[in-house]
Amino acid sequence: MDGLAAITRDGLRDFFDDYYATLDEVRLHDWPEFFIQDCLYRVIPRENFEAGYTLCTIQAESRGMLRDRVMGLTRTQMYAPRYYRRFPTAPRLIAEADGVAQVRHNLLLVQTLIDKPSEIVLSAVCHDRVVIDEGRLRFAERIVVFDSEMLPNSLVYPA
Amino acid sequence: MATKIAASNLSSGSLLLTLSVPPPQGRLWPADADAAVPYWVYTDPEVYAEEMAKIWYGPHWLFVGLECEIPEVGDWKTTTLGERPVIMIRSAENEISVVENRCAHKGVKFCQARFGHAQELICPYHQWSYALNGDLQGVPFRRGVKRQGGMPADFDLTQNGLAKLRVEEANGLVWATFSQETPTFRDYLGEKFWKHYTRVYDGRKLEVLGYNRQHIPANWKQMQENIKDPYHAGLLHVFFATFGLFRADQKSAVDIDEDGRHGILISRKGEQKATEDTADIRNFLGDLVLEDPRVMDVVAEFPGEDTVGMITIFPSVILQQQVNSLTTRQIVPKGPAGFDFHWTHWCYANDTPEMRLRRTRQANLFGPAGFVSADDGEVLEMTQQGATPSPDAHMILQMGGRVIESTDHQVTETAVRGMYRYWRKVMGL
Repeated sequence: MDGLAAITRDGLRDFFDDYYATLDEVRLHDWPEFFIQDCLYRVIPRENFEAGYTLCTIQAESRGMLRDRVMGLTRTQMYAPRYYRRFPTAPRLIAEADGVAQVRHNLLLVQTLIDKPSEIVLSAVCHDRVVIDEGRLRFAERIVVFDSEMLPNSLVYPA
Repeated sequence: MATKIAASNLSSGSLLLTLSVPPPQGRLWPADADAAVPYWVYTDPEVYAEEMAKIWYGPHWLFVGLECEIPEVGDWKTTTLGERPVIMIRSAENEISVVENRCAHKGVKFCQARFGHAQELICPYHQWSYALNGDLQGVPFRRGVKRQGGMPADFDLTQNGLAKLRVEEANGLVWATFSQETPTFRDYLGEKFWKHYTRVYDGRKLEVLGYNRQHIPANWKQMQENIKDPYHAGLLHVFFATFGLFRADQKSAVDIDEDGRHGILISRKGEQKATEDTADIRNFLGDLVLEDPRVMDVVAEFPGEDTVGMITIFPSVILQQQVNSLTTRQIVPKGPAGFDFHWTHWCYANDTPEMRLRRTRQANLFGPAGFVSADDGEVLEMTQQGATPSPDAHMILQMGGRVIESTDHQVTETAVRGMYRYWRKVMGL
């Protein structure tokens, strides 16, 4: 199969740029494609993460569950219209072994509702494991650990 | 203080009566007393202040936490009851104390973390120290230094401890009340609701799965109403309706206690199929398929055929049993126009790993990003936005008629009417 042979810093940078552009542009149906089939995706409060609690604010254990999230967002859920914009710091390569790059970076997720000033929804650190899958980079695991103690009502779109 | 509201001329919904104890700023209660509630109940700061005194600090049991959150003597957890910060602490092997988190000396909210462990409670400002049950035991320089200063000779440690609340633990949950007038917790629930309560809180040991916390910019009563209103559940929540978790055409019931303050919505899970009643549900989506249906991997675990039991304990908490997802949802009022909502997801301590995973998966339906609950947070905020500029307009609570009684169907707002009748009684309105 054509495609990537190795994980490089440039490759990671492009991967995260694509990922966040996809979300900021609300191309939700493209979002699950950034994950391998048997991925793990979690958005979890810091207090749960540090206490070893398994409860997440959002959890998906497969690309299928991510697609179900998109189905919920586009077809079943009701929410006020809003813009989400993500402000990640540069990805920091923590370790790379056996074809898995462990990457960490901070993330601010800012929302803007109609008639409202912009506000921070999440202040988080992302623990990511990125692999080569079908010739492209994909998340094998993405754990978004947020410090935010009191979410401003809803967390609508993904981080 | 009780006010008689003449129930004459119910058909004239716009007719307003003057009450013998007028609501704040001369506001009026609609003539259709049980089935119309004015929006100033959501917005008026005087009403809110009265609610704090008469409801939250009055003769009501307030949810504090789970007993399992503080397993060892000296373990504590902070939370907020009404607007007052408190500490729930295991003060002895078989004793849980709830004390106000406010130093007797200068009012410092001295416990700032959510959880901790201590031999004694010490305020950092002047190091006044308290025993685990809140008794004052040490005041530095109480006798002065070199015969200078010090507290007066008649300063009595026993009279200057932390404010203590009455506490009861009931099958794993800890409750507290500021009032000496409150009956026992079991009497507060009443036998009917004690039975509902012990269906899930049956004495088995509980364990925390984790927390979610969100601020919902809506009056606190809206959250109680939301879980007393089964009418919305199969309409707003397309996910519920589509996958048959909660829908008007399924076997269900609404039960309320004698006072109308507590309620439970009971339902049985159905199938994802269109019926003559789903035609009324604009958003029923018969074609939706979950690609990975493990989130809906439901098992029966409680006696009987009911799969949902959503209990509202007035005023402070919702006890959720929605298929295998078990949570306490604590309401912390933050002024008339908002409340903090603290979700504690739990499991039984003897649950298998599979059951824990199942409960964690189903939690995707709930909380600030829940397939279902996010709808509620959003619609409550939108309700507050609509109500705030029109405090003298009122809502229409006529679904299911004007009666306040238990029903064996969901097409009713009876439990919401019941809560407001009780609310008016307590508030003297």
